[in-house]
Amino acid sequence: MKRTTSAVAVAAALALAVAACNANNQSTSGGSTTGAAEAGGTFHILSTSKEISLDPAKSQNLGTSTIHLVLRGLTSWKTSPDKAAELVPDLATDTGQVSADGKTWTYKLKPGLKYADGTPIVAADIKYGVERSFAPELSGGLGYHKSLLVGGDKYAGPYKGAQLASIETPDDSTIIFKLNKSFGDWPWIVSMPAFSPVPKAADKDPAHYGEDPVASGPYQVKSYSPGSKLELERNPNWDKSTDEARTGLPDSIVIDMGLQADVVNQRLIADAGDDKFAAATGVSLPAALIPTVNGNPAVKSRVATSPSGALLYLALNTKRPALANPAVRKAIEYAVDKQAVQVAEGGPEYGGEIASTLITPGIDGYSKFNLYDAPPAGDPEKAKQLLAAAGVSNLKLLMVADTDTGMDVAQAIQQGLKRAGITVQIKPLDAQPLTDLITGNKADFDLTVSSWLPDFSSAIGNIQPLFASSEIGNGGYNISRYSNPAVDAAINAATAEPDKAKSAAAWGALDKQILADAPVVPLIYARNAFLHGSKVQNFYLPSYPPYPNVLGVGLSK
Amino acid sequence: MPDLAWFVVRRLAAAVLVMLALSFAVYLIFYAIPADPANLACGKPCTPDRLEQARHFMQLDQSTIQQYLNFLKGIFAGRTFGDGTAAVHCNAPCFGYSFPLARPVTTLILERLPITASIALGAAVLWLIIGVSLGVVAALNRGRPLDRLSVGFALVGVASPSFLIGLLAILVFGFWLNMVPVSGYIPLTDSPVDWAWHLVTPWLVLAVLQAASYIRLTRAQMMEELNLDHITTARAKGAGEARVVLTHGLRGALVPIVTLFGLDLGGLLGGAILTEKVFSMQGLGDLLISAVAQLDVAVVVGTTLFSAFLIILANLLVDIVHGVLDPRVSHG
Repeated sequence: MKRTTSAVAVAAALALAVAACNANNQSTSGGSTTGAAEAGGTFHILSTSKEISLDPAKSQNLGTSTIHLVLRGLTSWKTSPDKAAELVPDLATDTGQVSADGKTWTYKLKPGLKYADGTPIVAADIKYGVERSFAPELSGGLGYHKSLLVGGDKYAGPYKGAQLASIETPDDSTIIFKLNKSFGDWPWIVSMPAFSPVPKAADKDPAHYGEDPVASGPYQVKSYSPGSKLELERNPNWDKSTDEARTGLPDSIVIDMGLQADVVNQRLIADAGDDKFAAATGVSLPAALIPTVNGNPAVKSRVATSPSGALLYLALNTKRPALANPAVRKAIEYAVDKQAVQVAEGGPEYGGEIASTLITPGIDGYSKFNLYDAPPAGDPEKAKQLLAAAGVSNLKLLMVADTDTGMDVAQAIQQGLKRAGITVQIKPLDAQPLTDLITGNKADFDLTVSSWLPDFSSAIGNIQPLFASSEIGNGGYNISRYSNPAVDAAINAATAEPDKAKSAAAWGALDKQILADAPVVPLIYARNAFLHGSKVQNFYLPSYPPYPNVLGVGLSK
Repeated sequence: MPDLAWFVVRRLAAAVLVMLALSFAVYLIFYAIPADPANLACGKPCTPDRLEQARHFMQLDQSTIQQYLNFLKGIFAGRTFGDGTAAVHCNAPCFGYSFPLARPVTTLILERLPITASIALGAAVLWLIIGVSLGVVAALNRGRPLDRLSVGFALVGVASPSFLIGLLAILVFGFWLNMVPVSGYIPLTDSPVDWAWHLVTPWLVLAVLQAASYIRLTRAQMMEELNLDHITTARAKGAGEARVVLTHGLRGALVPIVTLFGLDLGGLLGGAILTEKVFSMQGLGDLLISAVAQLDVAVVVGTTLFSAFLIILANLLVDIVHGVLDPRVSHG
């Protein structure tokens, strides 16, 4: 009897404590999404990053990410839930006028554009912004333009007084780019962070410019404390009527930084207090939480998944003796158990659809085909026949895998290949040493699983970085070290093609041509899944990019 | 020169040598890894020319020995990377410059130290109080339920990994019971109440785990001490039991406890890695772990040296305190 009483007393004390504290402001739990986006409110982004730099020169961010809330480019990305991102004019009046030879692109700025401080945005500021991205002090960003602009290979930035002559600004509203070759996707390149305007006068301390850059977008930096938070407030001089890509609905945006990934997801599942107005834009839902989410319909309604995404693939190092023979690589195409990989990545709903192409669904040039038709779990018998026909037995391969994120998939592949008599030894490595090994010049591995997402919505991004022979080693991502002069020539031709339909067809043909040589095994089109709070609206993941477009998010009351 | 001052000077000189050797070892270890920190700074796509440019700017194109000498020189003269208006300066004393974090290592350590110190000092006070008092109680109640309970508690504490206890505490007290914040750090200067409020769980978790060894140590020392002749004498002279236990008994038992405490606290101030990770606090431990993952050699060397310095300092203080607690100890 006494025992019971004290237990009750303890329970009562706990209940009191709970009622009194309410430390995390939990008013309700597990709410589902309701209402429509309205102007106003504070949108919270829960982030694991400890440092955020809004320096356009150093940024590798995609066109739908936070940096573009503050910075505008010549062009920008416009998304909708049912198709891949499209390019729209931003500071420029159109997506660019190209000369007959495809090497000169001209842009005109819209009239009346202003920075947050009221000064006008002029063409020279865009030129200066691009120039500073060449400085070694500010390297690290997306740099496709660096090898395309005439003289870019030798240029080292504006800080010692030199200018890049291949960018001309005949007047305040005109900017002309001279390229060293025809490049049909140039309009996508000028949507990248380095093409946002930086007034030279404001660039007095380049190393710290990214902490409070001159704002051209709907928001400007209010405060930044590294490791803790970045607060954005409205830019009074941003004119919505000039901007097709951004809605600028919330009054302010707060990025809560330095959080643990688990904590981010648990907070969003709990959906309490300010977290109702919060979302994860870089922290994907882990496989371990999928049962929790599936078990609670209200939470499930707050998960946004992408229809497609990065290509997860198995790279076969074609320069290694064991894999130099295409017949062996084709046997591996059949032997891999893609279904087991899919399960390891979270199943069809959260992991992604099984892949058979290099170009991912949603990107122009994608067509569904399968050169190595087999059941989802593979065809180990066919693989054995092919190996026997090639006179290969007792095949032993070394696979390198990411210790933290790659082991499940590596083991699924190991098991799959074992059925065809192929022995795979897995060597786990940390992320950075792994990247250095597979992209470096001394490639001591046979197999590795990697994933690839283009930096802009064009099939060139699916193909060129992974299969052009110029991308082998030296940090390049042709990790299967695939080298085929005919493919190189076709890549160059497709790159130069300014007509969108023709270039899409050319990339589609390359997809088949490359896979016929079997340098990689496409595994799945990896979906992303992100949680958001119940008051966050317009939060969806397009097929490309498979990330939420923060430029269009709004809050309901 | 008095004994104590001479002792401190000699110990500090030895500390400098230890730290020199340590810094050189850490440099060598990181240069043995087949990885290039310049890759991260090269951008995307990375061309060989651009990579070379990044390497030159970060002064990674020099020999390992030269880089180490640059590091030593930087401590006294500061360093400058690149030239022109965009050059990056790291003022003396420059213990390296972190390119990924775009700040001098000295600044980073000073930024992160208050967080780690908040965790470590608060937890240390708690575990000292809990550990020593439970240890004394256990010693005085030898073999009785209170002793069993204290020793049992110590056993659980010693056997539990901090990340497990930490995560469980967050789940139970943060998410389920909603009594404490689940993560984050509020600077003391912003709001002392919120500061303490966000630190309660990490303090308690660390204290419970660390107190365990103090309970066992205090218990053993006290039992030994209470059997000594001077205790019998004190009792015979009619001293009260509280005075016997606290003044005569505990003072004698304190020497090994102070040693342990000094080293534990010194170690923890260098970074409470797991605790910081679990509670999403960006202290020195977090700085070090992220730097290892990013191959940020400057930060790894800087934080390792700083941790070593703290341990050496703690050792020195412990030795000085020994002399105060026990007049038989000489610093000659």
